[in-house]
Order: sequence, then structure tokens, then C-alpha cells
Amino acid sequence: MPIGDFAFMIPVLPALAFVLTFFFGKKLPQGGAIIPITAIAVSFIISLIITINLLQNPEEVITQSYQWFSAFNVGILIDPLAAVMLTMVTLVSLLIHIYSVGYMSHDPAKPRYFAETALFTASMLSLVLSDNILQLFISWELVGLCSYLLIGFWYQKPSAASAAKKAFLTTRIGDVMFLAGIVLLTTDLFRMVNGTIPEQLYLLRFDVIFSYIPQLSAMNTTVLGFEVTHLTLITLLFFGGAVGKSGQFPLHVWLPDAMEGPTTVSALIHAATMVTAGVYLVARTFPMFIAAPGSLIIVAYLGAFTAIFAATMGIVMNDIKRVLAYSTISQLGYMMLGLGMGAVIGAEAVGISIFHLVSHAFFKALLFLCAGSVIHAVGTHDMRELGGVAKVMPITAATMVAASLALAGFGIPKTIIGTSGFFSKDPIIESAYLFGAESGSWLPYIFAIVAALLTSFYIFRLIFMTFTGEPRTDYGGHESPATMTVPLAILSIFALFFGAISSETFKHFVSETFVNNFVHMDIHALAELGHYELAAGHGHEPLLIVWMPIIVATLGLLLAYVIYYQKAVDVSRFVTRDNPLYRLLYNRYYQNEILTEFFAVKIVYESISMATYYLDRGFDWIVSVLSYIVFEAGDSFRKVQTGNVRHYATAVVLGMSLLVVLVKLVMEVI
Amino acid sequence: MLPFLSLLILIPLIFSGITLFTKSREQARVVAFVGALATLALSLYMYFTFDSSSASMQFEEMRSWIPSLGISYHLGVDGIAMPLILLNTIVIPLMLIFTWDDVRSAPNRFYALILAMQAAVIGVFVSLDFFLFYIFWELTLIPLFFMVNIWGGPNKAHASMKFFIYTHVASLVMLLGIFGIYFASWFQSGFPSMDIPYLLSQFPLIEDGMLRDGIFLALLFGFLVKMPSVPFHSWLPDAYVEAPVAGSVLFILLKIAGYGMFRVILPILPDTSNPSLMISILGLLGAVSILYGALVALSQQDLKRMIAYSSISHMGFVSLGCAGFVAYSISGAMFQQFSHGLIMAIMFMSVGVIQATTGTRIINELGGLASKMPKLAVIMMLTFMASLGLPGLTGFVAEVNVLAFSYANVPTYVIVALLAIVITAAYHLWAMQRAMFGVYNEKLGDVSDVSMYQLVPMAIIALLILYFGLNPNPVFEMMLTSSNQIASLMAVLGV
Repeated sequence: MPIGDFAFMIPVLPALAFVLTFFFGKKLPQGGAIIPITAIAVSFIISLIITINLLQNPEEVITQSYQWFSAFNVGILIDPLAAVMLTMVTLVSLLIHIYSVGYMSHDPAKPRYFAETALFTASMLSLVLSDNILQLFISWELVGLCSYLLIGFWYQKPSAASAAKKAFLTTRIGDVMFLAGIVLLTTDLFRMVNGTIPEQLYLLRFDVIFSYIPQLSAMNTTVLGFEVTHLTLITLLFFGGAVGKSGQFPLHVWLPDAMEGPTTVSALIHAATMVTAGVYLVARTFPMFIAAPGSLIIVAYLGAFTAIFAATMGIVMNDIKRVLAYSTISQLGYMMLGLGMGAVIGAEAVGISIFHLVSHAFFKALLFLCAGSVIHAVGTHDMRELGGVAKVMPITAATMVAASLALAGFGIPKTIIGTSGFFSKDPIIESAYLFGAESGSWLPYIFAIVAALLTSFYIFRLIFMTFTGEPRTDYGGHESPATMTVPLAILSIFALFFGAISSETFKHFVSETFVNNFVHMDIHALAELGHYELAAGHGHEPLLIVWMPIIVATLGLLLAYVIYYQKAVDVSRFVTRDNPLYRLLYNRYYQNEILTEFFAVKIVYESISMATYYLDRGFDWIVSVLSYIVFEAGDSFRKVQTGNVRHYATAVVLGMSLLVVLVKLVMEVI
Repeated sequence: MLPFLSLLILIPLIFSGITLFTKSREQARVVAFVGALATLALSLYMYFTFDSSSASMQFEEMRSWIPSLGISYHLGVDGIAMPLILLNTIVIPLMLIFTWDDVRSAPNRFYALILAMQAAVIGVFVSLDFFLFYIFWELTLIPLFFMVNIWGGPNKAHASMKFFIYTHVASLVMLLGIFGIYFASWFQSGFPSMDIPYLLSQFPLIEDGMLRDGIFLALLFGFLVKMPSVPFHSWLPDAYVEAPVAGSVLFILLKIAGYGMFRVILPILPDTSNPSLMISILGLLGAVSILYGALVALSQQDLKRMIAYSSISHMGFVSLGCAGFVAYSISGAMFQQFSHGLIMAIMFMSVGVIQATTGTRIINELGGLASKMPKLAVIMMLTFMASLGLPGLTGFVAEVNVLAFSYANVPTYVIVALLAIVITAAYHLWAMQRAMFGVYNEKLGDVSDVSMYQLVPMAIIALLILYFGLNPNPVFEMMLTSSNQIASLMAVLGV
């Protein structure tokens, strides 16, 4: 049997694990953790075999489709893009599950935890291997549901219940945009087939959508005074969904609060099963983006802005998990920027962006799990209370430093020496340079390079504050058990060496994802539709540009070393409430006040919703007045009647007799 | 062949009669339950022998009744009615189990009314004669009126009277519409007929455009009030809230207005003098109901009232789907009726459980219930998710069809509906957060989780929501067949 026949099991096994763990987990040791671990391990093996097969023959992708309901279908598509994602998601999720056995060992609600994480993984896997946009959306929503349940895992905590709601609602705003994009797309496609869908044509399958790209880009509409093609509109609506899910500005506000869940859940959300979905969506529909004028530019700018915006907040946070949360937002910005660079480098953008996604998944999962290990041992997230943790937790400290080096992107250009982050982030920054050189707009490059400086600074600030120096409070602590440290060690190997080994193969493999037996896209022709001018070639950037990322990363490291290790500068001079810049950053640009307290509470709830409430009372009042008038009029009749009128009976009898009388009358007329 | 449809009306009616004469609560509920099970068995048999690829009437029965007035005893089901009958016959026995241990006055009358209601509603679904249709339509009022008036909450007298008079006035307007089409066709062809398919086919032959529009609007008004659609909804919150749980569920199963839209309104809509205007009216009312219902629901403090407004919001999708007027959007609207019946049944049951155990429905007086009632929390979470349109559950199937396929016809209203989706999510999650999550409110005292006989019916409906959400085809196919027939009318006209 070909391995493709087992592909459906990749999401189905974790979904089954969800059901089994939910109902029988209580009776098993460790809350039935063995069920999802086994299921995801098998999914990982299947994904890995499929990926290896695909590597040898990248044009023979796995595709299966079946009619579902209405005009929609379900199906599987495993091309290079999906294959690497599946392998990454299953691997990272597997390691996090193994780690969770140790991390959650004291929690009484373990069965629920493992059931929900299994469903979370299943939803993400189903999202990745969808062969049509609706199934992708459905899985997308299920991912949202699972994140809601897991962020609110400790629902007795009001802050957790509130953060869960916030995450769901904020991403829901994006989801509605995504849905609107699907609605518009379906309407256009339905119109193109003249309202009758031929047998065996699955309207929303990616190959069908892509085959209609020229027609979609020929349709124009005016939105807010701008003349845009339908393709631009649809892709931007999709991107709206990605902005919500992948925590891009301004819908990133849920992500830092999402740490109310267990740290392992944060690791899942930030690395494998949630925030990457938005980047994946843009990559998956990349042929549409590159044929849509303006779309990729917006993706690039918003990504670059998010990268620097989040990094500025990362440098002032004192909560170890919050620093990492802002770091995720910032890195997701890089991924979006990478995709946006399709405007100059074509399909290669998918390769570099997804490569950064995968390498980020490894080192970010590692960072969160290390943070979890620290929190598990010492019981606080506040870096100001930590310090000197390296002495009690050497393995955790070592792996965390490895992850930080990867995040900051240390490596030596033009050699194969470097961390995964180096091999994945530098191409994005270099293509941003290329974009500047070709188009003359340097802003994305400047944002990207400054963000790289800030990244290195905030992550080593975290390292120095947490692991070096003397303990600032008496927290005790101990090294974590092997179920926790082994996943850390495995992930740190990936964080350090994955890039050096696979960088070129990986990027080439994924960049070819739109040329195979499922779709055969001519990216250059599409780029012409979108009015993007692809650069003829690259790799000839000036030496300074090639070395620039590593220079700024070193600078960031040195700065953090001087300030937080040598304490050469007294930070308390700047870190005060009198410093407006600090206040602005620490209060996160007042987004919470603006978006939640002002917009959601004041405008939507207290103004609009309450106004409708009184409007509704008004309707009720009108009805009461009308009935009052009728009853008053009826009073005069009442005197003739017996008095206690049974309205219901009278009314029925009246209705019926009216019918008979009318019929009689008409009969006589005829 | 047996007269299945007559039996489907007669069985609950006969059992209702028997129940009325039982002496004790024990007898009443057992007899009623047996009656409901017999009806379920019959409807399941019919469902499995039903041919979902045929748009024509099945199990048809036709007997002459009052020939001089053209009234006949004409019954039949197609893809519009079958899923609704199935919904009704599945939920009623489950509801009887749910209310198994409720102690209340006059149990014999209580259970008799439930079965009478079932007979009347099925009667509306299977009638193919306007005379019969109207009789059953009006009959549905009586059990509901008593349900609220006798076993309702503190404000029951006002609520029951308001519901009765409001919807009855609407029914009279609808009756005028029926007369209009009846007499117009009589003048046209020279002989009387109350036969629904015949009269609908005669509608385009009416020469006077004003008369056609008048008939259409009168019928539409009758259905819109019953559905209800904003701004004719103000009977609903009072009636739903004051009714006992069983009454609220009966209200939810009263899907006759939406049914009327598909049976009567849509087939004649293309022949009104200005079909695109009529479509705009439907779309506007649908979109306004969706947004308005959601906004008012957000402002509610009473959990049951919130659910009542959410019901108004959901029914907006029925009008909106009708306005789409292609087969897929109409089937989406039909599926919304089916889905709404299942979802709201559990919603009201959950509120019933909460009120019975804690003694309050005010959201802010609850809090942290999930830690004391984990089973209820799981069921409620699934239902709330279904209600806010989470994929994989029935609500989404309906909404995605309505939204995706109505956009071509009424883009603006679809955008309004999309905006409302965020509000819908907001009030559901906010209510969940305040009522179920957070620290347990100790003032509520010691509460126990939902009992088995209440959990099982809720769980069965929840599983149905999941099943039909993942695989809607068992009912969606027959809906699509019927909608194709309706939509083809519009295609012929080229609107």
C-alpha cells in the first residue's frame, strides 16, 4: 500500500486520541497521556515518511478529494509545503506532550488537558493538509476553539477565563474577514460556472481557485474609493484572518494574554499549532497573493512593522513569558515580511518564510519549555525575582542559551556555521534589502534590521536577568525530571543545527510547492498580473549587508551584557514611571485601553448594545400602546358581552366564522 | 399503503386524548412518552423510506372533503417538511424524558398539551390544503397559550395574552392573503380550490399586479410575525422567558413560519410585480434581525432572555437565505431551521437546569458553575459553540451556505450579517465566562451537577448537533432537492 493511503490518519489519530482521553483518561495513569503521545508519534512517523518520499519526487504530491455537503468537499493535499509543516507540527507537538507529562504531573485535570491538546494538534494537522479553503477555515476555527479551551484551562482563575475570551474574540475578528473572503470567492467562482456546478468540480479546492486567478484579477470593484481587483480584495480579507491568527498588528493583543494557560499550551500556541496557521494560509494561497496588485506589499509592510513594534515592547517586559510572547509576535512579523518579499523574489519567498516558521517553531517551543521548566521549579514568572537560576538548573540554562542564540540569529555568513535562526532569518532580511534596492522603499529593511538588534537585546536581557548573578529572592528550585529535560535537549539540537544541515534543500523543496501534479503555476506570469517586478537574481549583496544582521545581533548581546550582567549602567534611572517612553512601552502603547476598554466596552457594549436595548423596549412599548387602544375600544363591546371573555376561544371562533361568512357571501355573488 | 401522514397526526392526538384522562402523574407521563415514541418510530420509518432525490410530494393522501368550497383533505411531505417532522418527533420524546421528574399541577393536562402541540405542528407541515393548513396553524396557538398561562413564570398572564393576540392578529392577516389567492383563482378558473400546490400555480395568472403584491405581503406578514423577524418580534422574549422549559422547547419546535416561507412565499415571490424589491425586503429584515438580535442579546442580564434574543438573531438567517434565492442559500435557510431547533432545545434545557439548581437565571448572580457542574459545562460549551456558528456543528453548515450563496443577490445584507458574527461570539462567550467560569459564587449554596435523566436527552441532542454538523447530507440532500425546484422558478424568470 502506498503511504499516501495512510495520510488521512495524520489528523484522525490525534482526533481519536481526543475522544479516548476525554472519556477514559481518568482511569489511566498520568491522565491517559500515553494515548495522545502514541497517536501523535504515529502521525509523526507517517508525516516523516511522506516527506522523505516527496523529497525524492517533489512533483508527485498526495491528493484525495470527496464530495461533502452543498458545493463543498473534503480532501487531503500533501505537497512539499504541507509535508514540512506536518512533520514540524507532529514533532514539536510530540515533544511538548512528552514534556507535559512532567510539567502537568500535579494537575488534577490532566485528562482534560491531554484531550484538548490532542484535539488542538488534530485541528492544526487537518488545517495543514486541507485541499480546499473551506476545510482550512473549518480547521482554523477548531484551532481557535482549542486555544480558547486551553488558555482558559484553569477556568477558575478569572484572569484565565477573561484571556480565553479575549483570544477567541480577537481572532474571531480576523476569522470573520477570512470568512468574508471565502464568501466573496465563492460568489465569484459560482458566477463563473454560471450557477451550476459541474459534477466532480470542487469549487473551493485550491487547484480550481488557482485556475480562476486570471478571471478573478480581471474583476474590479470599488472599495472606499479605491479601485481594486477582486483578487486583491479576497487576498487582503484572507490576510485579515492571518493577522488575527498570527498575531499581527493590530490584532496581536490576545497573544501576550494567552499565557494564562499552562506554559506547555503557550509552547503549542506559539510554536506549532496556532499562530503559524496565519503564515501558512498566506503561503498556501501565495499564487493568489502574487497575482493580486498591492497585496504582497501590504503583507510586507505590516509584517515588518509588527516585527519592530512587538520587539520594542519585548525589551521592557518583566514577565519571562511575556517577553517570549512579544518575541513570537515579532518573529511572525518576519515571516510575513518574508512572504511579502515574494514581490521581488517570487515563489522563493514561500521557501524562506516557511523555513523561518519551522526553525522558529523549534527554538520558540524550546524557549517556552525552558521558561516552563524554570517556572515549574521556582514558581514565579517575574524575572525581577529570579537570577542565578543557571546554578540550580544547568540543563535548562544551557538549552535556553542555545535557543536564544538561535532566536538572535548567530552564525557566520558564507559558511555552514550558524544556528537555525541565522539561516532562516538572514535570507528574509537580505531579501528586504533587495526589495529596498529594487523598489527604493527601504522601510521594511530598516524595520527588520532594527528589530534584529532589539531581538538580540531583549532575549539576552532575559538570559542575564534569569540565569546569571545571585538569586534575588529565595525560591529554592531543582532541575526538572527527565521527561522534561530530554525534550529540551532534542529541541536544542534542532535549534542549533537544523539550519546548517537543511537550509538549502528545505528552501528549494518548499519553493517548488506550486509545480506538481496537483497545480502547475507559472509564478512569473502571475507576478505580471500583480504588477510585481521580480528581481533577476540575488545573492550579490554588498558584504556589509551580508554581515549586518550578525553585527546588530552582537551589538544587542553586548548591550544586554553590559547593562544586565556587568550592571555598568543603572537601569533604574530609565525604568521609572516618570519616563514617558518607558511608560508608553510598558503600557504596551495603551492598546488594551484603546481596543478593549474603549472600543469593546464603551462603544460596542455600553453605547451600541445598550441603545439597541432601549430601542427594543421602545418596540415593546408601541405594541403595548396599540393593544391598550384596542382593549379600550373593546371595553364598549364588553358591556354587551357576558364580561369574562375568553380571548383565545373567541378569536378562533371569530376567525373561522369570518371564513364561513365570507365564503357564503361570495357564493351568492357567483 | 397505510395513510402514514394521517397516522402521524392521529397518533399524538389520540395519545393526547388518553393522557388527558389519566389520573396520576405516573400514568400521564408514561402514556405521553409511549405516544411520543410511537410517533418517533413512524416518522423514522417514513424518513428512511423517503426518496431524497425526488422533489415531488411523497406519502400523498387526497380525499375530497367539502367539494362545494374546493376544500379537500390533502396531505403530503417533501424535502421541506420531512426534516422538520424529524426534528419535532426526535426532540419531543427527549424533552419528555428531560421533564420526567418535574413536579407540577395538572400533569395530565400538561402532557396532553405537549402531544396536542406535536399533532398540530406536524399537521401544518403535512397539509397541502390551505383550509387544513390554517386550522392546524391556529391550533398550535392553544397548547402554547396554556403552556405559558398555566405553568409559566411570574409574568405568565401578560406574556401568554401578548403572544396569543399578537400572533393571532398576524394569522388573520395571513388568512386575508389566503382568501385573496383563493377567490382570485376562483374568479379566474371558475371553480373553487383550497389546494396549496394548485393555488400557488394559479398565482402568476392573477392579472392585477397590486392584488398579487397584496396577497404576497399579507402572507409574508403572517409568517414574519410568527418567525419572528424584527420589528415584529416583541411577543417572543416575554413568551419564551415566561414559559416553562417544556414550553420554551415547544416554541422552538414551532418551525411553521419558516416552513411557510419555503412552502408558500418563495414559490410565488418571482411572480410579484417587483421580485427584486421583495427580495430586498427579505434580505433587509434578515440582516437586521441577525444584527439587532445579537446586539440586544449582548445587553441582557437574564440568561433565558439572552437566549430568546439569540433565537431572533438566528432566525434572521432563514430570511437572509431566502433572499439569496439560489438552491444552496435556500437549503442553508432550511438547514438553519433544523439546526436552530436542536441547538435552542439544549440551550433552554441548560437554563432550566441552572434555574432549578441555583434558583436564578441572572448572569451576574451566577459564576464559577463549571467547577460544580462539569457535565453541564461540557454540554453547554458545545451548544454555545454550535450557536455561535463553530464549524463542525450544525449552525455553521447553515450559516456558511446562507452567507456564501446569498452574497451575489444581497451583498450589503450579507456584510451586515458577517459583522454580527463577532457580536454573536461576544455575547455567548461573555455569558459563559460570567456564569460558568471564574471563582464559584458561594452565595449559590451547594449545587449538584445535572442529573442523569436530564443529561441523557441533552447529550443525545448534542450528539445530533455534532453528527449533522459533520455530515449534514442525511437531511441536507432532501432540502437541496426541494430548493432546486424552488430556485428553478426564479431562473425561469431570469431575475
